[in-house]
Amino acid sequence: MEPRGEVFVLGLILSVIVLIISVMISVWARRLTRNLGDYYVAGRSIGALNNGLAMVSLALSLITFIGLTALIIEGLYVAVAVYASFTAAFIGLMVLAAPYLRRHKSFTTMAFISERYDSKTLRYISVIVMMIVSVLYLAGNLKGIGIVFFFLLGVPEVVGIVVGGLVVTLYVTLGGMYGVTYNQTFQTIVLLFCLMFPVAIVMRALGASGWVFPPFGYGDMVPQMTEAVPHYFWAMVTHPVVYIAIFLGSFFGIIGLPHFVMRFFTVRDAREARWSTVICVFLVGLVNTTVYATGFAAVYYMQAEGVDIPSAAYDYVVFILVETLAGDSWLALAVAGSVAAGLSTVSGLLMIMGAGLIHDLYGTIKPEVDDEKKLKLSYGAMFFVGIAVIIFSLDPPEFILEAIMWSFGIAAAGLGVPIVLGIWWKRTNKYGVGAGMVVGSLIAFIGWIMIGYMGMDPVDIPFPFFANYFYGPLGWIKVIAVAVPISFILTIVVSWLTPPPPEELQRQVDEMHGWSDVDPKRYNSKILPVVIIILSIFIMYFMTYEPEGTDFPRLEGQEHTLRDRD
Amino acid sequence: MANDSRRSYKLEVWVTAICFIIVAVTGGFFSSIVVIMNETFFNQVPTPEGLVNSYGETMFVFKEHLAVWGFPLHYFLLIFLSWIGATLVGAIWCLVMDRLEEKQRA
Repeated sequence: MEPRGEVFVLGLILSVIVLIISVMISVWARRLTRNLGDYYVAGRSIGALNNGLAMVSLALSLITFIGLTALIIEGLYVAVAVYASFTAAFIGLMVLAAPYLRRHKSFTTMAFISERYDSKTLRYISVIVMMIVSVLYLAGNLKGIGIVFFFLLGVPEVVGIVVGGLVVTLYVTLGGMYGVTYNQTFQTIVLLFCLMFPVAIVMRALGASGWVFPPFGYGDMVPQMTEAVPHYFWAMVTHPVVYIAIFLGSFFGIIGLPHFVMRFFTVRDAREARWSTVICVFLVGLVNTTVYATGFAAVYYMQAEGVDIPSAAYDYVVFILVETLAGDSWLALAVAGSVAAGLSTVSGLLMIMGAGLIHDLYGTIKPEVDDEKKLKLSYGAMFFVGIAVIIFSLDPPEFILEAIMWSFGIAAAGLGVPIVLGIWWKRTNKYGVGAGMVVGSLIAFIGWIMIGYMGMDPVDIPFPFFANYFYGPLGWIKVIAVAVPISFILTIVVSWLTPPPPEELQRQVDEMHGWSDVDPKRYNSKILPVVIIILSIFIMYFMTYEPEGTDFPRLEGQEHTLRDRD
Repeated sequence: MANDSRRSYKLEVWVTAICFIIVAVTGGFFSSIVVIMNETFFNQVPTPEGLVNSYGETMFVFKEHLAVWGFPLHYFLLIFLSWIGATLVGAIWCLVMDRLEEKQRA
């Protein structure tokens, strides 16, 4: 898509309105902030609907608008599988962690790990993991806002990054968690409205019979779709363990991603935490399935109308279709929706990074500092982090999706595993968690450095035994299928080989599950750890399985296939 | 009382385990099974000449009799289960946990 030669006035006006309302909400929310608890967890006063809506905007980054559709057009069933897994992962987050974390009364993931295992060292390690994960997740989101400004509004990219970044920094710093929460709720409503309606109009223009409900309204386009991209629905484009790695990354990654978990510390009680997740998964699924529909519509449009959209413009296909088939006013809405999507993700990440630095790092090093001073420092830290993020986003290492998947992998191995075992197995101790989180997150992080950052071929990385099996399209994702199982195995085995945690730490597990009494037998069975170890070994062994008669098609940038390796 | 508490504990653990397994199947294991059972879902046909470089000599197209509302069965199941299915599983789990919480309070 060629950049607009002139400023798109209507789109710019709507985008600026979104930005102004965001700041106004935070100015209003500032009056509600009286202490540190208000600033970091909104006084634990948020209801299920509000929290559910806020979680939706956190889950739907800019990639929803500019990135996912490109993968769908290129014919990757695996792209849909990633997002399907990500959607279902919210239920995993809910049943394994959300209400229990709420009952624990921590402010952050790092505080939970530190208090559950009574270890300052683990708090420092988890802050480091959190910073890596957040920066990776952040990479490209602000850049994406800049791209939207440049291509769609005719405003230079740098202006978009700086203006978008400053607005987020301003409203996060001013309004704290109250401001972030109400902003995210507002942004979800904008996003839903600005995506669903334009896409329905596009589907109607293309003649889809179910245009009223885009998520399931495009079945009659399938023949044209498969004619254009024959392998689209073929799940075998990747090794089966890739899907397992996606499951491990998304299910345990979402539990480990601190900006998601932090939302559960803001709600009134465990019940609100549970129901907010149900609201969230329903709406996230609605948006994601609508985006799949958009990808389909684009392929159908190219095939039926004989239009050639260059592959470099696939990222902007939502906007291309809306502009061509629905008109400028709908395009302006879609642009405003994408700006809202970018802002919400960045704000959640800024919040957790600021909280991690002041509450978890500074507060642990200097425990004598009172809450009032911490609150003042939090304003400064939040502003500092925001500016650093803006500078970083001017030249991020890579664009969104791959970085996000790596961050999910690191979060799963480094933070997700200790959280899940800390809630469900009393015997987990700090030694096991230390071993599991350090080794697990290092495997995923080094994998990202060598493959994602240095651009090495996955099969060439110096990784004993397993690297041989990192072949094939998306072979790098298999690193997650090693990192997470190893994190589980090490945590369990080392915990077993070292002394059990003291009784007062084990008591926390009963309390998290809502029990007023303590029963040493609860959440202390040997079955769970044994099953986890068996499954972990099975998943790693599964990597060596070679489906009969497979010759994976070559995807761009992926040289190795089964045939090459042989 | 102790028996009640034991029953509630078991109910919590089992309902959670079952719900997690159901969503985990959607979250990755289902697609793995589709790969392993490739021939159940797809027919192998020659690739059109222009696409041979990308896809090899043969390509796989879904079996049309396995379509639901026009979608290939496995794709339909994937998006349906990961969205509506996951929402329903989540809602059922919430209802059970709400009841358990009331019992615990009592």
